[in-house]
Amino acid sequence: MYNPNCAKPTTSAVPTKNNESLPAERFAIRRSLLDKEVLMIDFFRRYQRTNVEILTLVLAAVLLWAFGLPRIPLRADDKEAVVGPDRPEPAVIPAVPADHAQRMTDGLDQFQKQIAGILKENCLKCHGGEKIEGEFDLATREGLLEGGESGVVVVPFQSQASHLYKLITHAEEPIMPDNAAKLSDEQIAMIANWIDNGAPYDFALAANKPQKKSTIVDEKDKSWWSFQPLAKVTPPNLDEGKLAVGVRTDVDRFIVAKAKAKSLELSPQASKRNLVRRAYLDLLGLPPTPEEVDAFVNDESPAAWPALIDRLLDNPHYGERWARHWLDVARFAESHGFEQDYDRPGAWAFRDFVIQALNEDLPYTQFIEWQLAGDEFEPDNPLALAATGFLGAGVFPTQITANEVERTRYDALDDMLSTTGSAFMGLTIGCARCHDHKFDPIPTRDYYRLLSTFTLTVRSNIDVDVERNKKSPQMAQWRKEQDSLLAELKTYEESLRSDLPQWMRSVERSVKTWTVLELSEIKSKAGASFKKLDDGSYLAEGNNGDQDTYAIESRPSSQKITGIRLEALADASLPKAGPGRAANGNFGLSKISLAAAPPGAEPVALKIAKADVDFEQNKSNLSIAASLDDSPTTGWAVDPQCGKDHAAVFTLAQPFELEAGVPLTITLDFQVNTQHALGRFRISLTSVAEPLLGGDSLPPHIADVLAEASTPEQLASLPAEKQTALFDWWKKRDANWKRLQAKVDEHTKHEPSTKTNIMICGEGYQPMRHHTQGADFFQESYFLERGSVDRKNGVATQSFLQVLMPTADSQTQWQWSPPAGAKYSGRRRSLANWIVDVDHGAGAIAARVAVNRLWQHHFGTGIVATPNDFGHTGAKPSHPELLDWLAGELIRGGWKLKALHKLLMTSAVYMQTTTASADFKAQEKADPTNELFVRRIPRRLEGEAIRDSLLAISGKLDLKLFGPGTKNESSLRRSIYFMVKRSELIGSMVVFDQPEPLVSQGQRPTTTVAPQALLIMNSPHVRAWAEAFAKRVESTAPVTTDFQPAIQRAYQIAINRRPDEAETQSTVAFLETQSANYSQDPQYTQAVQANARSLALVDLCQILFGLNELAYEE
Amino acid sequence: MQAFDPAIVREIEKYTRRDWLKRCGGGFGWLALTGMLSGNQAAWAEATQPHNPFAAKPPMMPAKAKSVIWIFMNGGPSQVDTWNYRPQLAKRDGQPLEGFDKKTGFFPEEVGALMKSPFEFKQYGESGTWGSELFPTLAQHVDKMAFIHSCFTNSNNHSPALFMMNTGVTRMGSPCVGSWVTYGLGSECESLPAFIVMSDPLNRGLPKGSASNWGAGFLPSIYQGTWLKPQGEPIDNLKPPGNLVGNPQRAQLDLLAKLNQHHAQQSPAENELAARIESFELAYRMQAAAPDALDVNKEPESIHALYGTNQKHCAHFAKQCLLARRFVERGVRFVQIYSGGMENQQSWDGHIDLAGNHSGFAKEADQPIAALLSDLAQSGLLESTLVICAGEFGRLPIAQKGAKPGRDHNPHAFTAWLAGGGIKGGVHYGETDDIGFKAVVDKVGVGDFHATILAALGLDHEKLTFKFQGLDQRLTGVEHHRVIKEIFA
Repeated sequence: MYNPNCAKPTTSAVPTKNNESLPAERFAIRRSLLDKEVLMIDFFRRYQRTNVEILTLVLAAVLLWAFGLPRIPLRADDKEAVVGPDRPEPAVIPAVPADHAQRMTDGLDQFQKQIAGILKENCLKCHGGEKIEGEFDLATREGLLEGGESGVVVVPFQSQASHLYKLITHAEEPIMPDNAAKLSDEQIAMIANWIDNGAPYDFALAANKPQKKSTIVDEKDKSWWSFQPLAKVTPPNLDEGKLAVGVRTDVDRFIVAKAKAKSLELSPQASKRNLVRRAYLDLLGLPPTPEEVDAFVNDESPAAWPALIDRLLDNPHYGERWARHWLDVARFAESHGFEQDYDRPGAWAFRDFVIQALNEDLPYTQFIEWQLAGDEFEPDNPLALAATGFLGAGVFPTQITANEVERTRYDALDDMLSTTGSAFMGLTIGCARCHDHKFDPIPTRDYYRLLSTFTLTVRSNIDVDVERNKKSPQMAQWRKEQDSLLAELKTYEESLRSDLPQWMRSVERSVKTWTVLELSEIKSKAGASFKKLDDGSYLAEGNNGDQDTYAIESRPSSQKITGIRLEALADASLPKAGPGRAANGNFGLSKISLAAAPPGAEPVALKIAKADVDFEQNKSNLSIAASLDDSPTTGWAVDPQCGKDHAAVFTLAQPFELEAGVPLTITLDFQVNTQHALGRFRISLTSVAEPLLGGDSLPPHIADVLAEASTPEQLASLPAEKQTALFDWWKKRDANWKRLQAKVDEHTKHEPSTKTNIMICGEGYQPMRHHTQGADFFQESYFLERGSVDRKNGVATQSFLQVLMPTADSQTQWQWSPPAGAKYSGRRRSLANWIVDVDHGAGAIAARVAVNRLWQHHFGTGIVATPNDFGHTGAKPSHPELLDWLAGELIRGGWKLKALHKLLMTSAVYMQTTTASADFKAQEKADPTNELFVRRIPRRLEGEAIRDSLLAISGKLDLKLFGPGTKNESSLRRSIYFMVKRSELIGSMVVFDQPEPLVSQGQRPTTTVAPQALLIMNSPHVRAWAEAFAKRVESTAPVTTDFQPAIQRAYQIAINRRPDEAETQSTVAFLETQSANYSQDPQYTQAVQANARSLALVDLCQILFGLNELAYEE
Repeated sequence: MQAFDPAIVREIEKYTRRDWLKRCGGGFGWLALTGMLSGNQAAWAEATQPHNPFAAKPPMMPAKAKSVIWIFMNGGPSQVDTWNYRPQLAKRDGQPLEGFDKKTGFFPEEVGALMKSPFEFKQYGESGTWGSELFPTLAQHVDKMAFIHSCFTNSNNHSPALFMMNTGVTRMGSPCVGSWVTYGLGSECESLPAFIVMSDPLNRGLPKGSASNWGAGFLPSIYQGTWLKPQGEPIDNLKPPGNLVGNPQRAQLDLLAKLNQHHAQQSPAENELAARIESFELAYRMQAAAPDALDVNKEPESIHALYGTNQKHCAHFAKQCLLARRFVERGVRFVQIYSGGMENQQSWDGHIDLAGNHSGFAKEADQPIAALLSDLAQSGLLESTLVICAGEFGRLPIAQKGAKPGRDHNPHAFTAWLAGGGIKGGVHYGETDDIGFKAVVDKVGVGDFHATILAALGLDHEKLTFKFQGLDQRLTGVEHHRVIKEIFA
């Protein structure tokens, strides 16, 4: 590799460009390149890249020498030069000996005769033939000199300084050849000699160069424990006798059998008080109340413990406790991160999904499937959609420059893939982004093929009915009220039904009803358009011309026509509610004319004899009569009675017999004033002798019914649907019915909103955009060399990890094609199919990872101590058979987690005491890290559980489930409802080790730092809870005369036990001194002095918050 | 004693996975724990006792710097208008820059011609260092400063470049230099945070990416920077609630210690419980120590005059520089101060009116930084304090078009300077081309820069590792990087 520091010192020769007067010798470290060096170096590089024949090489070398390339040997710390973005590929520039031309010629001869053979036979298979292990490829000289992941391998002309030499002489590790006999001394000497001669090649050792990266995963790779199928395990059969003492479940058999080897036994069972507290903290993250403790302690039944576990697993707060564990794994947050860290509205839906999924005991396979592809499995299920928030929880830059867009997208895809790998399979797949995984059999090729699963996956916000399954109390209340209103309406309708016959027989019915005319066409001269409304009226929309004419055509059935009614109807969409389109709601009908147009004949005008109207603007130029004259500037108008319905009746000079199929045309002219067309209107016909203004407008189908049946008796003989149709129309005329219906309508408007805007991460939805200069998303993913978007190497198509497939190309067995027209590709569903496939896919490792997480949270450490890494760099299982047996139990139980919780918690291992036993020291010595699980070490609760406990103890805890969170630390809800904003993490959570939500975290560190203590001592929130706690205590144990009952009560509430004698003495003494101080020290206000005893109790309650016993699960 | 023998690190990691952090406690100072090493290798015990994440650790190699003050010029100051004098740029003023890739900066549509610096340059000090008129006071100290003119970075966008400069990675989520240093060296101070960050106190915002710039990433969160809130109480929960001040709280803590000790006697986790008991005592001491360190009123008038805490144009930054000295004096390991707020005219991000933008921020920073160097030098602290001054990238030699021209982002070149802590004064390393566009000679990537900072503190960037996701993670990543030894005295 070229290193500018190796350049000849040139200080005196090079004028410093920006400082002509710089004393030359004094600032010796300022350097420059000589132009000729640049030239030669460039030449040399090109030579190395193209492997030109030896003559060129020799010529180059001679030239280089002649031009004085650096002769300083490489120093160890000078090996590497800076690699910048615009810098060419680094190449090794060796120090060149004076006689190197001759040496190279000799070396070439050696290469042809000996070296090529040795390398081919011993090295090539792994380094350039079939694979490129350690990224070292010696098939060409270029590759040889480029070195591998550990750096430079061969320094030409310097065998002793060459790493290769040290490896083949076994002076350094890893010794080479790997897994084969050491080369003979003679062979080693030949190689050394060849290196000293410059290590020249004259042909590539591998004719067909393999893919740059190794792609082969072989059986040896698959032999790693976590890639194996689940072992068929039966719980060890203990000698029933001494060994089996205390054994309760099959879990215990595994633990006891293994402990036997170190002559260790299970610790005794914890007290019932400890057990009930442990179960509550473990499953709910909340302490039990004193009453709950008493109930359990007093229950002598052997079933009390499993029954308690069942009860707690059914408690909705179980989901909240265990969801938090998963949120760490899912790097859950509700903001984008990066520069602006914008909020992600609706991102909390994923948190709610986890809680609900756990509470409902969703099978773990479904839990995986929905998080990866809820939209592809159940596109209509809001919960499945919310689950996809898993993929979208990672960081997301919102300001991206043009040349960062593509890399940023690959970062986002990498985040999805890496998290999927860690969360479900315990594999660090992300490590294979730039090079084959260094430790696990995950070639870069697998990485990109798996990555392509997410190519089209984007974050989106959509409206879904997340409340649907939640049966919220608000919804129940609304439904109850709605049902009651509907019932009232229904009852009234029934009573109304008996009035229908009377109406049918009425005069009103026989002489006043109109039949609504259905219009086949309305042409507006000014270009308005018309919308038909349910009541048979038409609403004008669009262009409102200065003058307009509506040419209306209708084709009613054959009938006698005596009159026509034009209703001008108000409508909220019109100016001042209409009925006209003028700004004041008015209209001006200058002319109405009617005609019948028999086909092939001249239209016949239907002459209007007279008109009647409910209201006219005046009796002269704006009267109804004016709509019949020929003056365009006079006509019917209704100001100031706008916003109301009006009607005009036009009686024909003589009845007209309209034949079927003859179009009836009606022309309405609006020229009285500008923009005074009619906004909403309805036209009806009648055949009664004397048309009257009032009366119902019958829709044609109702008119038909009445034509068939003019009496109630006739009606009764009609089919039921016709009777119903008539009644349904008729009832709407009734004022009381209208009132009741309006109540229903109004209440319906107040239906609790069940649509919620949530963030999902799927395909085919409107993507959430970045602030990007250019496109955000791409249709293809490519294989990238060294992870660089500038080095694309073909489109990557979906496959899965070879090491977890029967053969390298068996991906099709999981690949799922979505139905035609689906907006998603099915790739994520395919991935999920593979992950949950126990027989041929990743199901075995997925099950192991799942049960290990449960074990870890119940016992403090996993059977595999690295929950997110089941690969070669992770810990190996302490109890492999137990792990496989539990994984099998999970699968056999339908992947239900609650059953597994119970299985673990009913074991004697779980129920062990945390009290130091007599032989504790011996136990600790034999098993310092408690890998054998035969004792139980108290565990510090997580920050969430500590805070929730304090709130519960104070009596202030708000147990409301679900919904958007808050950043307000004075919130009284459980800590899982803190909104996770990446730039504003909640201080009281961070200080207690809540991890930064950036990458998947399988376990938290537990630190003990002073800011935690400061929080308990000085936080105003904690102080407020202490005050509430003290009030709660005083409500049953006042401190007016005696402190002891209060102390007893406070201990019971806080740590579920009575204080012992020593504790009572200390606390009483404290309260006496503290209250005396408050009451007597003149520095305190009168209020303080008067409340000294209560105040002292607050101080005690606050101190109980600081008890180790409260913060540790025992 | 080699603190980071790989075998020892492996042993630590084993414990991390199991129980280590839980056991080792720790705090702003360290909590003495005993009896936890039973059954472990002698080497481990020797190298890590006393065993606490904040215990001061010996450096891996001899070094002068013990603490760091990093003045982060947020927004990316222009190299050609500050310390990288390019006479050719003035000569080519107004000419187009041939072959310029419009995507280099942030605003491809506002690419202008080459623009000379609006500021006068002259030479300062015995070294004859050229400096612009922006830093007349600081320029008196050029013979204490080593300039690296050939820095370059990997992003032309603020937050990735900020993350790069702070964490070595353009993505968010990796540990920053300050976290690595406190992880590597622990702290010399029990009652103050080991790593303190101060941002702009004038309501001009946080650097982009905010807390991720001083986050601990995958290192235990105790190593994250403690951000002093610019308004209100700088550190949370330092003051007891009303009536507890004084005796009542002391009585509370005495009772708590008694009750907790009573309980611990019966528990097998007594060491861990003891650590928690001790943490309350440490917290109690911090209540006094932290306000004391933060109280600059205890400084003499001459010091206030030196820093300019009573001058309106620089008072806020002067106070931060003075606080930095007070922290370092008390053993704080790493202090970072951001000059400027978020972006554009809120920081050194001079997209429009470069002359106005840079004069304004230079006026805030010039006297305080100069004072910091004088003050550290006169007390001898400069010997052991590495002062770093750099932004996240540089600026282009061409104008960003506008009524008042600015300069756009330039990832290809920027100037950083270092002083104190074993740095050679008055030297210049690396060069850009003659218009200051790209680093061309002795290029220094961010990884090299980080390796150099660690080396100044006696930490080998290849050996300072932390196991995460199955890998030995390093600040400088997997690429090879070089320590710029040429600037060491």
